[in-house]
Amino acid sequence: MKSKKCVAMLLAGGQGSRLGVLTGKIAKPAVPYGGKYRIIDFPLSNCTNSGIDTVGILTQYKPLELNDYIGSGKAWDLDRLDGGVHILPPYQSQQGGDWYKGTANAIYQNLEFIARYNPEYVLILSGDHIYKMDYSDMLNQHIESGADCTIAVLDVSLEEASRFGIMNTNPDGTIYEFEEKPKVPKSTLASMGIYIFTWEKLRYYLTEDEKNPDSANDFGKNIIPAMLNAGELLKVYRFNDYWKDVGTVDSLWDANLDLLNPNLNLDLADKNWKIYSKTTGTSPQYISDTAKVENSLITDGCEIYGSVDYSILFKDVTVEEGATVEYSLVMPGAVIKKGAKVRYAIIAENVVVEEGATVGGDPQVVGNENWGITVIGDNLTVGKNADVSANKMITENVKEGAKI
Amino acid sequence: MRTSLVAGIIFANAEDNMLKKLTSNRSMASVPFGARYRIIDFALSNLVNAGVTSVGIITKENYRSLMDHVGNGVAWDLDRKNGGLYLLPPYSSREVRKYTDTIDALYGAMDYIKRCGSEYIALCDSYALANIDISAAVKSHIAKGADITVVYHKGQLPEAAGKKLVLTLSDDDRITKMAKSQAEGDAAYSMGVSIIKRDLFMKIVKDAYDEEIKNYEKDVLPKVLTSLKVYGFEHKGFVAILDNTHTYYQASMALLDKEVRKELFNKKRPILTKTRDDMPTRYGIDSEVKNSLIADGCEIHGTVKNSILFRGVKVAKGAVVENCILMQETVVEAKAQLDNVIADKNSVISEKMVLKGTPEHHCFVRKSQIV
Repeated sequence: MKSKKCVAMLLAGGQGSRLGVLTGKIAKPAVPYGGKYRIIDFPLSNCTNSGIDTVGILTQYKPLELNDYIGSGKAWDLDRLDGGVHILPPYQSQQGGDWYKGTANAIYQNLEFIARYNPEYVLILSGDHIYKMDYSDMLNQHIESGADCTIAVLDVSLEEASRFGIMNTNPDGTIYEFEEKPKVPKSTLASMGIYIFTWEKLRYYLTEDEKNPDSANDFGKNIIPAMLNAGELLKVYRFNDYWKDVGTVDSLWDANLDLLNPNLNLDLADKNWKIYSKTTGTSPQYISDTAKVENSLITDGCEIYGSVDYSILFKDVTVEEGATVEYSLVMPGAVIKKGAKVRYAIIAENVVVEEGATVGGDPQVVGNENWGITVIGDNLTVGKNADVSANKMITENVKEGAKI
Repeated sequence: MRTSLVAGIIFANAEDNMLKKLTSNRSMASVPFGARYRIIDFALSNLVNAGVTSVGIITKENYRSLMDHVGNGVAWDLDRKNGGLYLLPPYSSREVRKYTDTIDALYGAMDYIKRCGSEYIALCDSYALANIDISAAVKSHIAKGADITVVYHKGQLPEAAGKKLVLTLSDDDRITKMAKSQAEGDAAYSMGVSIIKRDLFMKIVKDAYDEEIKNYEKDVLPKVLTSLKVYGFEHKGFVAILDNTHTYYQASMALLDKEVRKELFNKKRPILTKTRDDMPTRYGIDSEVKNSLIADGCEIHGTVKNSILFRGVKVAKGAVVENCILMQETVVEAKAQLDNVIADKNSVISEKMVLKGTPEHHCFVRKSQIV
């Protein structure tokens, strides 16, 4: 087998518990985004657009839908004779087996996979972020600087810095210290969870880390500090474009509605950096005489008879006459019936909002303290004339006329 | 080798002259239709939805865009080790004359027909747009012990009815007469789709070739009605017969009817097409869209009414598009006004330009033309 210059390992096993009912049945990277994508489309498309054709996808939590979605990797042009995508779940061996304990342990358990390709470099990615990035540019910097590890960073505001893993660097971009969520940040360079390691160094430090029973087996907490202590050369790679973590309901909603901002630095229509997704046959969208559609993204299979403003509609969504959808995400197959009102909400797949029902609340009416995005879990029904107020996470059918 | 019960043959060029302007640089089968499809998608999907895993496409000329569209057949799940998609371009040798009509073409495709291994052949022309339940047609074919089954539709004869075959049927759906008709009003007419056993088909094609008979449907079928058991199978749903630019326009606009969409885009028998990885369509703050069918990848900031927009169409602020069919990547610049326009791929309508056709005579913008 030919050696690969760079192999990507995509950590896709996270539960994404803060997304609540949205990740009740699927892993976080499989969560729908932007009308026709799933979160994992972004790292996979970035790989293919960056010329990386070998990707190991580490799965653990609820992998069924994710595995099904990835399939042979064809949608991302990653069905290759040599390389391509490989789903890597935890496994048993003669010495026993274990769930993936931490990010570093997940890669450790698959060192054999990487070794098959005998790469010079390994790119570690996560399936939690929305961004377009040319990994080949980061790899070039890694090679030119002679670093043992390069970490992509985003310059965040000082207030935000306490929520991230922060890299403290010398003026030349050499990292001298890593601080996880510092109360008093010394720097505003936040780790994006994207690492390039020189393969031999990665193998060494993962193997060493595994020998320590007290280690959390985590890249940020254990591997990076160990490398810094040993005097290895760690560099930052500065990224200046759009990047968003979609770990919470609010940030998922935000990151979606960001797409409606014409000045946003995330152009999904860019033909030179397409974001690929697996699409299946459905019909064109129809906007009727009674419809009013403004400032929204709508995709194949939707039938709009009502009013849609400032929203993102996924495939095969129906909005009946007199219904209104505002500031919301409506995921595939959902039906918003006559006269229903949906605002500031995330409606998951195949939900039916019955006639006259109301979902979600306006922050200006509710007041900021009580306000939040309302989420309706997949395949649920919100009964006729029911009223689900702001900031609710709905996991069961809502009865006719109920007030929640 | 495992093969499907039925193999398909699609005629891609059969009625090219019908849609003159749209087929100046492509085959009939690759004419864009219905915001995100090409005409051949309907025949291909009908076959695949009936479990067909081997399809031959007979082409004659201008088939580059068709090859580009169908590729290796992956969009229809026809990238197979056994069977799959075969493009059958013209073939002539000392033994086979260059073809002018369907019998010559079928004779040239004899190798494919011999090798496909299926018991039955489903022949599909590309002038009828419909979501046809071919597996039900095959079931009826077998149940009736038919030699040939012709799919027909009962209703108002299509515009260029003189070109169409009108069927006379007995009570049990046996076809007793098949003839070109100038009649008006309701009748049963052929949709250019038929089922036949492969062995019989090969014999008929060979005999017709030797006798220099030209067209399988128009010349051969009417002559075998007494010697063979030829039955009809009624397709009851929506059908559009594409005769000319006018009927093409009518058929496109019929999609604005909810019931037509339900029938044609039947979720149990989906119409599949090549995917393009467009982003969803963006409706701008000042957009006003009414009664229109729109594909992904469009960007709409102006007004769009009673129109069909294909993938990647851009309508700038202040532009008004009414009663139009705008094909892939058409750009309508600011304040342009379009009424009754059919714009082919990649055309540009410049700022403040006014283009008005009438329902009878549509204004046509050629592929890549800048107006």
